[in-house]
Amino acid sequence: MSQPLTSMLVESQALYLDPAIRDWVLIPIMVVMVLVGIFRDQVTLLIGSTSGKKAGIKAIRETKALTRGVTLRNYGNNIPSSSFLIRKNYLCSSYKKGDFLKNPASANQVVNPMTDPAGMEMMMEGMKKNFAMIIPQTVIMGWINFFFSGFVLIKLPFPLTLRFKTMLQRGVETPDMDVTWVSSLSWYFLNLFGLRSIFTLLLGEDNAADGMRDMAAMSQMGAASPGQPQDFNKLFLAESENLELTPHNWELDDIEVRLLVKYGKRELVDNKDIIEMEDISPISSNDLSDVKGKSKKKRT
Amino acid sequence: MVSFDYKTAVTTLQELRKSGERKSELVVFLGESLINRGYTGKLGDEVWSVYEQIFIAALDLENDQLTIKCLENLNKRFPGSPRVKILEGMKLEADDKLDSALALYEDILKEDEANIAASKRRIAVYKAKGQDGQAIDALTRYLDAVYNDAEAWLELSALYLNYHLYQQAGFCLEELILLQPQNHFYHLKYAEVLYTSDNIPVALKQFCRVLELCEDNIRALCGIKLCTSRLLNLSNISNASTSNSVYLESKTISDLNALAVERLTAIYSKNQHGGKTAIEIKNVVIDWLSQS
Repeated sequence: MSQPLTSMLVESQALYLDPAIRDWVLIPIMVVMVLVGIFRDQVTLLIGSTSGKKAGIKAIRETKALTRGVTLRNYGNNIPSSSFLIRKNYLCSSYKKGDFLKNPASANQVVNPMTDPAGMEMMMEGMKKNFAMIIPQTVIMGWINFFFSGFVLIKLPFPLTLRFKTMLQRGVETPDMDVTWVSSLSWYFLNLFGLRSIFTLLLGEDNAADGMRDMAAMSQMGAASPGQPQDFNKLFLAESENLELTPHNWELDDIEVRLLVKYGKRELVDNKDIIEMEDISPISSNDLSDVKGKSKKKRT
Repeated sequence: MVSFDYKTAVTTLQELRKSGERKSELVVFLGESLINRGYTGKLGDEVWSVYEQIFIAALDLENDQLTIKCLENLNKRFPGSPRVKILEGMKLEADDKLDSALALYEDILKEDEANIAASKRRIAVYKAKGQDGQAIDALTRYLDAVYNDAEAWLELSALYLNYHLYQQAGFCLEELILLQPQNHFYHLKYAEVLYTSDNIPVALKQFCRVLELCEDNIRALCGIKLCTSRLLNLSNISNASTSNSVYLESKTISDLNALAVERLTAIYSKNQHGGKTAIEIKNVVIDWLSQS
């Protein structure tokens, strides 16, 4: 019983590959893939450097102005309330008036990426990059499909389960062949996804040759659409609303007592009293004072 | 300083570049050794930032040969790059040709108004020329755009302090506290500015904050001592003046005063090993503490 089985296995493995396949198909596909990767890296550099226009000072101001509001909201408790209020009022009114916008005139218009030259450029750049990625891949896949479809190129030196059949023997529709044999189209895919470390070796850490990246970029395209400029007016209005709702509890209100407790000059009883008093205060500040109470305990 | 090892030299330079520490002598020593022993080819693309780093350090030490060498190499590799142009401008500044440096920076800014390094250098030139008004003007415009540059805020506050504009300086320091609330140094500066502009209760609170962030900070302790003495004297004269927005119990104030005195005495009597001057300083401090 066992003899015919082993003989069958041996039979299925005794597939003789012409060395010419190795010399003229296997190695050329890999070399071409590497060369295309390098070529693509260079093309991306070329495209990137020619159209690498920097953002104007107004655009920087626009983005930084938003962080200004966020900073004030997060750390406003560290400055006295009068200073906090001045900043809050200034930022709210400026946000509403659109003082921080790149071009204040367009405050109420719907931003159309086609009319904004910067947005247009960004879109063009993304398109160019995508073309540099997609065209070589399509060409190579067509080339392999046309010349070498159905070729079996190598045998993997380790056993695999049947599930790998669709992955490793694409283009070869034989149900009986051992899974460890790899077809030409599958060899192409293995190269596409597996050459990353070789490119890192050849081109350095931050290269554009990798095939995986444009796959990732493509899958992102639908969700985030990176070419689309943000509508800062909307963001500013939302931020001003957030800012208006931010209460101000000065961190330093009971600093003296905290300090005296820290140096052991006051009993903790005082501290507890304060926490209780804060607990009675309106609900809006309740969770805040809780956090403060905790941090106080940590400090002492 | 005698032994030189390629690997440690490169990593030291890398770390210095990352942290921005200004150890010019060390950088020049390491850089010169790297260049003279022909290691520059081994660095790969990193060599350009190393050249930039060595260049700036060499400017500090007025090592003209080295600066010229670095600049030549960079110019050969990146002709017309604004970053190299800024280095050229710094060379001009170092040679005291401020006007031509200024013109160079203006040129760069005309082409790319968002060039942060150029606008910062321009402000530095204004300062070097003594045109503080223009420097303040340029700095405020710069900060209006690049809000989160802590060093620029600090610079602006220092400029305002030169002209005793305490309110403006205080504003800058408040922004700094917002940007880095954990940095006790900004709290300390803010507290001192508040004290100078006679806002004693808030200054006292700020000094307390510094002490909370940084234990036994001597400047903060002195500040607390000054503030509490002032407040105690004031409340003796008239109780009405303490009816500010910031209310402080007189017992708390005297407790703080006692605390500051105690800590200062403890700190100054601790370091005995300083010899005669340390004892003198201690005596002075204790005199001062007992006086007020």
